[in-house]
Amino acid sequence: MFANFKNKLCGALALLVMLTATAFADDPPPTPEELAKIKTANAECLTCHSEAGLKKPPKEGLDLKKLRNYLVDPDTFTASDHGQMACSKCHGDGYDKHPHDAKAKEGLSECQDCHARKAMRIERQFDKSVHAEHLSDSFTCSTCHDPHVMTLAAKLRDPHKIVAQDNKICLDCHDSDLAFAKIAPEKKKRPPIDEIHSWLPNTRLHWQAVRCIECHTPTEDKLSLSHEILNKDKAEKKCATCHSANTSLNARLYRHLAKEEQNKYGFLNSVILSNSYVVGATRNPSIDWIVIGLFVAIVVGVIGHGLVRIITTRMRRSKNHD
Amino acid sequence: MTNRVFMLPLWIRLWHWSNALAIIVLAVTGVSLHFSNPDLPLVEFSLAARIHNVAGVCLAGLYVVFVVGNIVTGNWWQYVPKPPGIIGRCLKQMQYYGSGIFKGEKEPFPPTPEVNFNALQAVTYWSIMYLVLPVVIATGLIFLYPQFAPDRLFGLDGLLPIALVHYLGAAAIVLFAVSHIYLGTMGPKVSSLFKMMISGWYEH
Repeated sequence: MFANFKNKLCGALALLVMLTATAFADDPPPTPEELAKIKTANAECLTCHSEAGLKKPPKEGLDLKKLRNYLVDPDTFTASDHGQMACSKCHGDGYDKHPHDAKAKEGLSECQDCHARKAMRIERQFDKSVHAEHLSDSFTCSTCHDPHVMTLAAKLRDPHKIVAQDNKICLDCHDSDLAFAKIAPEKKKRPPIDEIHSWLPNTRLHWQAVRCIECHTPTEDKLSLSHEILNKDKAEKKCATCHSANTSLNARLYRHLAKEEQNKYGFLNSVILSNSYVVGATRNPSIDWIVIGLFVAIVVGVIGHGLVRIITTRMRRSKNHD
Repeated sequence: MTNRVFMLPLWIRLWHWSNALAIIVLAVTGVSLHFSNPDLPLVEFSLAARIHNVAGVCLAGLYVVFVVGNIVTGNWWQYVPKPPGIIGRCLKQMQYYGSGIFKGEKEPFPPTPEVNFNALQAVTYWSIMYLVLPVVIATGLIFLYPQFAPDRLFGLDGLLPIALVHYLGAAAIVLFAVSHIYLGTMGPKVSSLFKMMISGWYEH
């Protein structure tokens, strides 16, 4: 009975944490006054933790080699999802003075502290992913999603920007032996990325137009793309999944634009056409019907002409016999 | 008694049939790609894409053979529509296809070694071979290397006009091919012109 009570209590606590955390992530944006305060406070951190700070350290005796690993690009950060947050929101106790406390890192906020509901959903997906299979201990949200850089696809909207941001995450490791070796299990060699994708025509051009995750995630999650990253044996290999009138790109890369005009100039999936011509997906049914109509007319015409020739030839022959 | 006259050298016949094969392969795979449907694939997309690319490059190579061969042998002159009275000759040819053939009339402009094509053929072949086909090949090559396509056009992807011209040009060639094959039966016998395209000899 006690165990049952303990379970219920744990569940209630988890729910409370989740609700609080969700409220935290859904906080209203800061007022202009608050924002000014945040900017001033963040500027203090960036005097060291930026390229400019590294070039011109505000203090003598800084370990520049170490600092190099903890730089933030101020413009990228400001444009990112967390760009209106104070550094201290995550980098709490121990970071407010320099040198920072030796144990400050232990108090660093984790993603689920604010994004609990999302984290629960994502964790279930991640547990089935190829990354969890091989790297479950060392792989965290920030292995892929640098909180100083990331912007939600729904906010970016422009597919080119979404693709550039998201593919950089994958390719930073999967296209670099050095970065791959830092994370990968020992003895695991980086598969040559171009070679394993050689079946995909215009491989690198595909990577500029669509994300790796269009093929390397399943489609079951309706709220966002799944975090179940699929290994190559499970990844999508059917071209027609994207290259067809009912293209899956509408539910993936273009999901945030899918409500926009879909029949501009009479083209199917014209919202995709503003960025990419996708054979099989972005075609114009009116032109197709004209072409099909002409083809049928010529075939029928040829058959009809042939039949009349046969009939008239026979008639002439029988006439000649008579 | 059947008269025989030699009309077509080996290189033209080899080019013609290789070209025909490439166009049939390109048409079938092209339809599979353009009307791609996962539930009803004519040829599976990635296979169709590969075959289409290879056949397209072959067609481009064959076109170079066609142009160089025509220049070297002087055969290009056959394709040039010769103006004085060309409209009248075209109309006469049309009249033959439209009614004369049903009445058993003789072909008004039968092929000779000097003039292979009637006026209608010359106009059509010239348009297809020197206007439509090079455009389809050029746009196909840009499709193969899309980095050479314009980046954007009228707020849409720059590959769209290339794709449209390629599609419409290819459609024109397929429509031509259907009528071309049928008109191949219009010799003295149904099989005469097909035989000529194989052996080079025109029997009449």
